[in-house]
Amino acid sequence: MRDIKMALRNLNRQKKRTFLLGGAIAFGLMIVTLLNGFAGSFIENVGENFSHLMAGHIFLDGVEKLPSGRTVYRIQDEKILIQALEDLQIPYSDISARSEFSGTLIFEGESIRQNITGTDWQKETFFRERLILKEGSFENLSEPQGIILSEDIARRLNVEIGDRMLVQLSTATGQQNVGEFSLAAIIVDPGLFGSISAYANLAYVNELLNLKPDEYVTLGIFLQDMSQIDFWAEKLYLYLQDKVQLFSRETGKEEENPFAAILNQTKEEEWQGTKYRLYTLNDILSEIQEVVQVLNVASLIFLIILFIVIMVGVTNTFRMVMFERIKEIGTMRALGMQRGEVKSLFLLEAFFLALGGALAGLLAAGVVMLILSQIFWGLDSPIFILLKNGYMTFRLSFFQVLLNIVIVLFMTLLAAYFPAKNAAKLEPAVALRTTN
Amino acid sequence: MQKRLLILFLFFLILSISAFGATPDFHAMLVEIDKTGNFDTTDFSCVYTIVSEKPGEEPSVTQARMFRRDKTDQFVLLILKPDTQKGQGYLQVDDNVWFYDPESRKFTYSSLKENIQNSDTKNSDLNRNSLAEDYEVANWSETSLGSFPVYLLELEAKHNEVSYPKVKLWIRKDRPMVLKAEEYSLSDRLMRTVYYPKYIQVGDQYLPSQMLFVDNLKPGEKTQVTMRDASVAPLPDSVFTKTFLERVNN
Repeated sequence: MRDIKMALRNLNRQKKRTFLLGGAIAFGLMIVTLLNGFAGSFIENVGENFSHLMAGHIFLDGVEKLPSGRTVYRIQDEKILIQALEDLQIPYSDISARSEFSGTLIFEGESIRQNITGTDWQKETFFRERLILKEGSFENLSEPQGIILSEDIARRLNVEIGDRMLVQLSTATGQQNVGEFSLAAIIVDPGLFGSISAYANLAYVNELLNLKPDEYVTLGIFLQDMSQIDFWAEKLYLYLQDKVQLFSRETGKEEENPFAAILNQTKEEEWQGTKYRLYTLNDILSEIQEVVQVLNVASLIFLIILFIVIMVGVTNTFRMVMFERIKEIGTMRALGMQRGEVKSLFLLEAFFLALGGALAGLLAAGVVMLILSQIFWGLDSPIFILLKNGYMTFRLSFFQVLLNIVIVLFMTLLAAYFPAKNAAKLEPAVALRTTN
Repeated sequence: MQKRLLILFLFFLILSISAFGATPDFHAMLVEIDKTGNFDTTDFSCVYTIVSEKPGEEPSVTQARMFRRDKTDQFVLLILKPDTQKGQGYLQVDDNVWFYDPESRKFTYSSLKENIQNSDTKNSDLNRNSLAEDYEVANWSETSLGSFPVYLLELEAKHNEVSYPKVKLWIRKDRPMVLKAEEYSLSDRLMRTVYYPKYIQVGDQYLPSQMLFVDNLKPGEKTQVTMRDASVAPLPDSVFTKTFLERVNN
């Protein structure tokens, strides 16, 4: 207790020095905590935003293989799939039926390749809420050939609301087809995902793909709880396994996630009739999960590098402290203080310095997070895919915070250890004789 | 006796009318046209020059050497010009088409329907035909194109995996040579017009030595393809391999 008091008093004696050293530690930990917090919510926000763009958390595609070897994507009869949702009592909030193709939009000499998604606007009311219109209106989609383009694509094609443009595509079976779209609305550019952001009426997209009106390519299931994706996907897979042909979700050496495994099977396998592929948002986002891991590892490396720099400062400071207090150490040793106690005193000082800095860093990180999370970055922000409804969010795990604090404490103590050891080694008589 | 002569006269009259108005054997004609472009007994090689024009842009010139072995469904297309794409190539083995990029030294899976070097020409345009197999004649008429009397055939695809569901062909009456083709989309919109103004004899076949592809969806975009150095001399097996594309770049 006496040593603790002395250590705290010593820190208090050199306020400026303590503040600078503690501030450096706090700054380092604040940056790392912010990075960790951002990475923590990254996957959740990207997942949620992606689920809205893709209209679901769990997906089912129907795939047929024609005698020529060509694969045709269509769900001809959804009854058994809808029955599965009811029988399993899957807690879903919405289901979506979508068809899509990659085609060339042509307008007055300009052409651009674009993915176009057919959406049932009457059923997918939730999707309208996610699209930020810059021009035009959803009412324009009452025209069967209406299309919504992103700002960037509309600018590059030089089209305005009401303009009619051609679209060239291949049907589901590979025939060339040409259709006409009328620009119904322009949405705010969703940044990286601009190329997948053109939306039209499902019925017309089906017509262009030469699919029947009640057919479509992908059934999307929106779960009430996004954290249950893997659980319900597994249940649905087991249920459907006995009722329809399904592509295996087992991963091999070549594929690291079920989605890649299914894609390979589609190319390699032969089958009759419709075979279904079941995949999830997590399968698709597995690459992004790797990004989060990389981000976490990078922040850890950053923390260590930052603290190596701070350690040099701590070591030098404590060496200076030792010389400044050499007479004091000599006096304390002469009065009976043991070597171990001198070392403990220095280490306790370093410990409280690190602890104070770490707590201040966490507090500062919390304040910065609070401020950043209050700023509305807008749903048209280029980083909207990383945000939650236009706001930055942060998620920290207790373990991560604890690990960071332990690393800070360990490295600061390590930095102070050698000056502390040298201070403890001082002979009282030599110390008392020394003049600064 | 007079009655018998009258019946005989009417019989020959009907016979001659039906013979005069008989539909030509268009299926056989399409088979002949397919044969014109197919080399089932020999190899084939030539150099194509593709000049692509787009409004507001300088014409782009692509030169490619084609090697074909139809009996085993193999072909190699090696880009010679422009210099920036020199060495790129397409290799077809059975149903697989590979694209080779000498910069990355990697092969990527491609498609016969992909356009060559951003032109209006597709790889499949330079490969074998299968009109008789894929299409049936829905309508025909006789007309003329320039100074040539021609049959105008309207072909409809027999199945839904053919690129163009409807094709119109202008075929010379005196020999099975296509002079013009119009290709239509499923929605019956004219997508592309192809002109074959010149033919040359290669071995015992006539081949179009000049082709003009006009994109009807993008006004002003057209591509002219000319063929030279055509040969039916045997080609070594090693030409139809990935190693060949890699080696010619070394």
